[in-house]
Amino acid sequence: METMRKAQTLDLLSKQKRIDGRALDQYRPISIRTGLIQKANGSSEVSIGNSKVLAGVKIQTGTPFPDTPNQGLLIVNAEFLPLSSAQIEPGPPDEDSIELSRVVDRGIRESQMIDLKALVIEPGKSVYCVFVDIDVLNMDGNLFDTLSMSATTAIASAKFDKKIIKEDGTEEIQKVPLPVRLIPVSVTSIIIGDNIILDPTEEEESLFDVRLTLVFNEEGNLTAGQKGGPIGISREQLFKVVDISRVKAEEIRSIVKKAVENA
Amino acid sequence: MVHSKVLPGDELGVAPPGPLPPNTYKIGNKLYSLKIGLAEVEEKEVKVIPLSGPYIPRVNDFVVGKIIDVSAFTWDVDIDSMFTAHLPAQDVFGRDFSSITDSLNDQFKVGDMITGNIIAYDRTRDPLLTIREHGLGKVMRGESVKISPSKIPRLIGKKGSMAKIIESKTKTNLIIGQNGVIIVQGSPEGIVMAIKAIHLIEEKAHVSFLTSMISELLSKEEPGV
Amino acid sequence: MDKLIDENGIRLDGRKWDELRPVKIEVGVLKNANGSAYIEFGKNKIIAAVYGPREAHPKHLSLPDRAILRCRYHMSPFSVEERKPPQPNRREIEISLVIRRALETSVFVEEFPRTVIDIYIEVLQSDGGSRCASIIAASAALADSGIPMRDLVVGCAVGKVGGQIVLDLSDKEDKEGDGDMPIAYMPNLDRITLLQFDGEFTVDEYKRAVDLGIEGNKKVYGILRKAIMEKYFKVEAEK
Repeated sequence: METMRKAQTLDLLSKQKRIDGRALDQYRPISIRTGLIQKANGSSEVSIGNSKVLAGVKIQTGTPFPDTPNQGLLIVNAEFLPLSSAQIEPGPPDEDSIELSRVVDRGIRESQMIDLKALVIEPGKSVYCVFVDIDVLNMDGNLFDTLSMSATTAIASAKFDKKIIKEDGTEEIQKVPLPVRLIPVSVTSIIIGDNIILDPTEEEESLFDVRLTLVFNEEGNLTAGQKGGPIGISREQLFKVVDISRVKAEEIRSIVKKAVENA
Repeated sequence: MVHSKVLPGDELGVAPPGPLPPNTYKIGNKLYSLKIGLAEVEEKEVKVIPLSGPYIPRVNDFVVGKIIDVSAFTWDVDIDSMFTAHLPAQDVFGRDFSSITDSLNDQFKVGDMITGNIIAYDRTRDPLLTIREHGLGKVMRGESVKISPSKIPRLIGKKGSMAKIIESKTKTNLIIGQNGVIIVQGSPEGIVMAIKAIHLIEEKAHVSFLTSMISELLSKEEPGV
Repeated sequence: MDKLIDENGIRLDGRKWDELRPVKIEVGVLKNANGSAYIEFGKNKIIAAVYGPREAHPKHLSLPDRAILRCRYHMSPFSVEERKPPQPNRREIEISLVIRRALETSVFVEEFPRTVIDIYIEVLQSDGGSRCASIIAASAALADSGIPMRDLVVGCAVGKVGGQIVLDLSDKEDKEGDGDMPIAYMPNLDRITLLQFDGEFTVDEYKRAVDLGIEGNKKVYGILRKAIMEKYFKVEAEK
């Protein structure tokens, strides 16, 4: 435990200050750039402060899962490149990386962002598969939100060649977007002592007691969530976090929507 | 004297007599640069000042480190270099140190920040630290910042002038390690401002008039968020 | 099928036999890495990072008198036409090896005994000649990290299409042409540090190809120098 740093950070927080001068509920600068990888159907490079990730979407045909013959496939995978931090070594993902991957996947899947039923070509035989692969390029905290944002903006800005049957029965290939119903937004916070801090840097994360990631759909309803951290959270703290996050999610959603519109 | 910007492999000229200058290598009687840097070439002396690079420990360097392991006879200290440094128990407890009665953990435990001097380092072993001198040892409070070691001279300034400006304008105390680790002590507002100034110096170390730029930045009203 | 090169010596993408695709290099793009660089070479988009010198874990991996260089060349799943699973395949492992060899000659490993220097290369979009582009990015990342190097190392491929020797193969030319020869080169020391080829070359064609490759490498070297100068000596450019 970093005794000097934790004492100093708690002192700063008691005066509502963070090392980089932000307010406790303030996000670092967010940058979203779509369309960088022309070979992919969709792509999005997202930076939140110094955390930087790149998501690529590939849409291909394949066979559906046997228990969901009327649905297309969605596969979300995050790769922690050894590029991104001195602590990452090449090799199979560790438990933290797997947790991050799965939470991002759930945030998109449970909110039903993509209408998977609209991705069927021939029920039970042939469907479209949406692969979302995310490279983590630089780690500096709050990877949950950074990964989620890159995945959702890559999906929302993706285009693929779809076989359309016209009214006169002839087939035509059209370049269309994915059937996106809504854009889920992820908001991550940590609790240090009694302080709730949004968008933690890696330094702040190293001092956390609790971490909470909450995913909101466009009605402001919760569709996924994950708690991390060694300490338990009280009911009052939890509800406070939910309220603060809900408001923040809408702020972030407008940033995300603007980026997708300009894609 | 000829000043020039050099990249690895750039020819510097004829090698002057004497030992090989740091950051250069020789083929035949010609010298070449090993790094990106600024070269100063005179007839009798060639110097290459590198603009980036890892911290290479030197004996007598003052460093700031973090305790990462405690064993029966030493503390392992992370000084952000290619090797872990070691602080022998004897340095703290004296020659009659006994691992039974003297508890290392009571002095420094994992996570503590300390200041020390490098007392030994060569190619065959890890750097050794001492905290014997006055003022060295555990750091109780402050926030730590890391910058590239090649920028530390700029942060300190001529005769410490740059560091003094930051300290006086933000009312903080800076503990500056040659290894690029800095501890900032003071009020929360002061710490935030000082860290901002430190990052600006790292980014613009090559700019002239940096001193007045920093002075101006810190004289402005507290900027707020 | 389109002819790869027409009667006037113009290739499918409009280039002449000795023309490079557009190259863009940016140095120092990742905060955590000790050194990093990003390159666009044709449609290749590749990022490289260097970590080190650092302690080897486990310790027995290290050598007592020099640093060990480790290199990982990896292609992202979305970097190619058909989505590729993330696990490294045999081609990536071989390319990791030849890239490491190309750079090893230059890095002054004797300076850092008992350490490792890790080079990580990620291909974000692939377009023929990615191993040469990777060498350029890795070289820039090594220089950016301040690790001592005898020379910068650059890379460029030559090949044979429609019976003619050409510089810098595109993806299509690589797949459908008659020969492919990636070359890595140290410009100040005038040494070739990577040489692979497949296809059939007469001895005369082979020599011409190598000379063309060196010319191409010199052009790439000029672009790399400029990119490093811009990053490190920006103020001088502004004055």
